[in-house]
Amino acid sequence: MSRLFPKCTRCNTSHFVTFLKSAHYVCSKCGFHLRLDVSTRIKMLCDKKTFKEIDKDIKSVDVLDFPKYMDRLQKSKKETGINEAVVTGECKIKGFPTTLGIMEPGFIMASMGSVVGEKITRQLEYARENNLPAIIIISSGGARMHEGIFSLMQMAKTSAAVKRLNDKGLPLFTVLADPTTGGVTASYAMLGDVIIAEPDALIGFAGPRVIEQTIGQSLPQGFQRSEFLLEHGMLDMIVSRKQLRATLGTLLSIHSVRPYEGEV
Amino acid sequence: MISKILIANRGEIAVRIIRACKEMGIETVQVYSKADKDSLAVKMADRAVCIGPPPATESYLFYQNILSAALAVKADAIHPGYGFLAENPHFADACRALKLIFIGPKSNVIRRMGDKAKAKELMRESGVPVVPGSDGIVESLDNAHEVVEKTGFPVIIKASAGGGGKGMRIVLEKADLEKAFNYASVEAQQAFGDSRVYIERYIGDPKHIEVQILGDRHGNVVHLFERDCSIQRRHQKLVEEAPSPSIDKDTRKKLGDIAVKAALSVEYDSAGTIEFLYDIGTKEFYFMEMNTRIQVEHPVSEEITGIDLIKSQIRIANGEKLDFKQKNIVRNGHSIECRINAEDPENDFKPSPGKITQLMIPGGPGVRVDSGVYPGYSIPPYYDSMVAKLITRGTDRREAVDRMKRALDEFHIEGIKTTIPFHKEVMKSKEFLSGQYTTDFVNKYMG
Repeated sequence: MSRLFPKCTRCNTSHFVTFLKSAHYVCSKCGFHLRLDVSTRIKMLCDKKTFKEIDKDIKSVDVLDFPKYMDRLQKSKKETGINEAVVTGECKIKGFPTTLGIMEPGFIMASMGSVVGEKITRQLEYARENNLPAIIIISSGGARMHEGIFSLMQMAKTSAAVKRLNDKGLPLFTVLADPTTGGVTASYAMLGDVIIAEPDALIGFAGPRVIEQTIGQSLPQGFQRSEFLLEHGMLDMIVSRKQLRATLGTLLSIHSVRPYEGEV
Repeated sequence: MISKILIANRGEIAVRIIRACKEMGIETVQVYSKADKDSLAVKMADRAVCIGPPPATESYLFYQNILSAALAVKADAIHPGYGFLAENPHFADACRALKLIFIGPKSNVIRRMGDKAKAKELMRESGVPVVPGSDGIVESLDNAHEVVEKTGFPVIIKASAGGGGKGMRIVLEKADLEKAFNYASVEAQQAFGDSRVYIERYIGDPKHIEVQILGDRHGNVVHLFERDCSIQRRHQKLVEEAPSPSIDKDTRKKLGDIAVKAALSVEYDSAGTIEFLYDIGTKEFYFMEMNTRIQVEHPVSEEITGIDLIKSQIRIANGEKLDFKQKNIVRNGHSIECRINAEDPENDFKPSPGKITQLMIPGGPGVRVDSGVYPGYSIPPYYDSMVAKLITRGTDRREAVDRMKRALDEFHIEGIKTTIPFHKEVMKSKEFLSGQYTTDFVNKYMG
């Protein structure tokens, strides 16, 4: 029954699964944008049958011999049907070609290990080589602790790749979904030329509880939520999921370096 | 076997369903919002369950509470009435997932007919005449130019997911196409979250003719003739009659056959309506859309055929075969319906909710009133403003009109403004009496 009637993770209202799907997985009661898997995102954003995945077979290894890491990886692979917490590729949105990376929150909370960092970097390099813009849909718990310092290295690597993309005059659009935290926020998520967020998404570096305990103060209302961040100049816009494809299409039409190819 | 029905609607249609259920020996459960706790339907049903606060989004559209209520009272089936969740395929699926019978067609039919552009495409494939226009969605301005090359002007641009006039633009000449196309797409995106539009030739001054259909789950489909619903204001029907006074025998037969063909092509299995635009001049008719639910104006079809559409819906949902064939359905007399709304016709039809202090319902031969109000009842401001449907039947149109005039004179509602004076004017109007009126009637003669 819970698969047929999943609950909103914010207000706990049950929704019939196809109702939820038709509403782009936005709770009709409280408006919360629920977490989305990669294949749903692709269907929602890309022109039909245009998404071509790249670097599909890069898989993580357990360099630190971290307890139960391989088990977690196996479990996530089985549950999500993908090899790592990000899927990258090339597609068209509203007829405009672009590269697209989508993070999978169901895969160890889309934490960034060596493979996630590598795939994002390769996506940005692919964009640069092929004169394409880059879009990354982000939802991540941050750096992957199972890979220690190797995962922290990915912050610098991905940031450098964004710089090289920008040097060629190509844009990066980042879309921050709930939650975007830790090392991902502190690297490519906040390096977009246009930073978009879904409404009411948690976006931050350290979590609110950690901050509260560290500074010994209570935090303002709405702290680390999209609307708060927009008000404080950290974001460019908040776009509801229903409008996301149209908004990305408009951005691509403005910044596209290739002629319109007319397929929708 | 259906023995307990939950009614997921309100007002007169809830009362209508309860009446049918009582005659069939079926127990009824009425759901209601807090604003409707004193409604007639709540008083008449065997049981009533509150499903939320007054706004429809938190009650009659909040399907989670409706489904919970259905499970709690152990209902076998849900009748959605019209409006609210009646044409929501997800709701029909959710009912099925919970092993509740949804009294209406299969969800995939609702889904296919709900997308207007797709429905048109499907009808065209089945040989049903459709207004010349785009094959489904018009993707780009270039595409729009290609379409109008074929159809000629004027054209109308419509939102695929739309209704109620939003995302609609009439274009008279080529120079205006680009602007209208862009506006319609943006408006459609804003209103429905879906910018897709389609284009068709604009049929100026048509009649709105619709055919009542009944299909069962054994492959039988019949029609109950047509209704003429051309008296409209801002796409809202005000007066309906059956049969249409401006359709001849041959056209009637053709319409009925086409409607049955269309319903068969989607394996239609409930009560439904196929709407057509009818060009009086050329006698051509074109498929407009299919409504996969009971209609407000269903009584006029019941009056001329003697078939109870609500009972038929319930029997079909129960898996029973239609117990009549097309040849057994005989048209008898003429019937007219006036929608009595709590609106002030002298003040641009402004809604007039409030308490009904006095109520005198007309009666006598050939008069039927379907209503959800009683003296002392307060009409809540949250929902549509319909107070009652006044239906008359006569051996011919003349008698039906005379009875309507008489019944309107007898109808007294005090405490609120109603559209009764408007209907009295319509019944007197030469254009209405001639039967040759079109959807422009209210604009032209009642402004």
